[in-house]
Amino acid sequence: MAHAHTHDAAHDHHDDHGPAKGIGRWLFATNHKDIGTMYMLFSLLMFFIGGAMALVIRAELFQPGMQLVDPMFFNQMTTMHALIMIFGAVMPAFVGLANWMIPLQVGAPDMALPRMNNFSFWILPFAFTMLLGTLFVPGGGPAGGWTMYPPLSQQLGDGFPMLIFAVHLMGASSIMGAINVIVTIMNMRAPGMSLLKMPIFVWTWLITAYLLIAVMPVLAGAVTMLLTDHYFGTTFFEAAGGGDPVMFQHIFWFFGHPEVYIMILPAFGIVSEIIPTFSRKPLFGYDAMVYATASIAFLSFIVWAHHMFTVGMPLAGQMFFMLATMLIAVPTGVKVFNWTATMFKGSISFEPPMLFAISFLFLFTIGGFSGLMLAIVPADFQYHDTYFVVAHFHYVLVPGAVFSLMAAAYYWLPKWTGHMYNMKLAKAHFWLSTIFVNVLFFPQHFLGLAGMPRRIPDYSTQFADWNMISSIGAFGFGLSQLLFAYIVFACIRGGEKATDKVWDSGRPHGLEWTLSSPPPYHSFETAPEVK
Amino acid sequence: MNARADLPPPRPTPDAKPGARPGERVLELMPHRSLTPKTARIFIASVAAPTVVVALMFTAQGFWPVLPFAGLEIGLLTWAVRASMRSGLERETITVTQDSVIIRHWDRRGVQSSVFPRHWSRVTLHAPPAALHPSRLVLESRGRACEVGRFLTEDERRSLAVRLKQLVGNMNETPAL
Repeated sequence: MAHAHTHDAAHDHHDDHGPAKGIGRWLFATNHKDIGTMYMLFSLLMFFIGGAMALVIRAELFQPGMQLVDPMFFNQMTTMHALIMIFGAVMPAFVGLANWMIPLQVGAPDMALPRMNNFSFWILPFAFTMLLGTLFVPGGGPAGGWTMYPPLSQQLGDGFPMLIFAVHLMGASSIMGAINVIVTIMNMRAPGMSLLKMPIFVWTWLITAYLLIAVMPVLAGAVTMLLTDHYFGTTFFEAAGGGDPVMFQHIFWFFGHPEVYIMILPAFGIVSEIIPTFSRKPLFGYDAMVYATASIAFLSFIVWAHHMFTVGMPLAGQMFFMLATMLIAVPTGVKVFNWTATMFKGSISFEPPMLFAISFLFLFTIGGFSGLMLAIVPADFQYHDTYFVVAHFHYVLVPGAVFSLMAAAYYWLPKWTGHMYNMKLAKAHFWLSTIFVNVLFFPQHFLGLAGMPRRIPDYSTQFADWNMISSIGAFGFGLSQLLFAYIVFACIRGGEKATDKVWDSGRPHGLEWTLSSPPPYHSFETAPEVK
Repeated sequence: MNARADLPPPRPTPDAKPGARPGERVLELMPHRSLTPKTARIFIASVAAPTVVVALMFTAQGFWPVLPFAGLEIGLLTWAVRASMRSGLERETITVTQDSVIIRHWDRRGVQSSVFPRHWSRVTLHAPPAALHPSRLVLESRGRACEVGRFLTEDERRSLAVRLKQLVGNMNETPAL
């Protein structure tokens, strides 16, 4: 029953509104900009931790023979590098971008559930402290690969339950983030903003959130079954008890392949925002881009077994998964064509966001093509578990997902901070990153085709030269990222004042560009008018 | 009695309307929500369907632990949509009469009312205390303050501030209604 009361106290309701001071501002943050900032800074930290692990790997592989670390620690580094980069760096960075940009782009005052937003962020430091903590317990950290295949993963020591709990926490954080995003987009759009008027970045996140919600329970269930097999006597994946370890691979990759698209669809959205701005043309084929994104998301559910052709499956199964995988090239090709067509006859300028977007376009396409090679069953039998696979997914995830994140940072950083960053340094960062990422990963194609297996700390001397070059590229790429961190923090601290539009272009035209730089919390300087 | 029976009828935009009584102005404020109860149900079903199908598929193969996680997730989604819809029911009315300004705020906890003497009140739009933080629209009088329009976007709050200043006037002013 409703109740009403009248009061005339010295302080009326809602007069204490405002951020907490000091650390409290961040601990109890509920506004989307503070939380988005925390997500992105956290992901930057994880990017450097995961990157340091990658450098341990590449330092060991600089020469054949065992040089620096023992094989067990090497395997821990490969596993932890993947888990940290996927769940700690790339995904939180995209969630951070969603937090910052989606309310601005749809004209909402904040995310739909601000307190849940706070909770979903603050789970992450605990999850990753626990995950990193496995390195210091008896038995060490997880060393059986990020895919956690049983029975190998079951041999982990005291770190095993910590790993499982950390994965659960990461999943819970992702799910809460996805639910917040999806509810914000569906329920808090400005009047007049129909679905097909939403910015492409919002669209890609909407579809990503659908994917996350659909597949995260599968991951949670899979790791829970690992746990019960280990401690509670179940035999879901233990052949001795009638279970099937191969089924774990099916379950894992049913989650894992959509997970790949969870990491790349928002990247598509970012690039679709940036290319029109710096080509000074509208995005070519907006509707086709939306449908292509949805098609890729749908197809991601029916291609999982291409990760495991070599486990043995019926010929019909191999054919189905091969053809379904190749089918993904069609909507992806639509996207690449549309980005290229957007640039065609455009008045292009090459500011850092556009440089990264163009680099994404070229290098992600290389990753896509090597993916098509891997989709071919007989070829995959040769490439499987070689460095060719490592080269393929790193081309998709580094110059793909990570470059898109850097492009996004350079694109929106002036809007967030109110300052322009140092363009010369940013361009230097771009060229160093683009050159070294190719020095790092392109030779891995040759290594893989020559038969070098992945996840090994030592190798035959025939692989020495390309490994040395790859390691030089790794250190060059890693050190270049220190420049990125410097540019970002220098921009936060000060710099030339950014204009509201930021970029000297007829575009950009999203709602976020109608705000001052930086946009005040909950704010629109001019009424959000959706055209 | 329905807990929401005290809510004023929804209106599309916060704007002044002629009061029920002569010489009164009433501003009604409400947050915007894109979904209706019906489309919210369709939306939840559209998200739940693929999740449930996937979970049932694995359950049928004997991997039932996927199912409770899917259930938890759909439960959380349903709660999230309901919470978002419920917060959209928040309402504020600012009634400006010849003598007073009455602020009523409806939310799920009920109704809160504050009455200010119009002649001795002023409307202030406080600047954000930090670069990324909100402006606050506050009605002040004799050491008392009441914030209004927290759930509005900045443009809505600014236009509300302009309108309220016209209606309430400054301290020691009583503009004609």
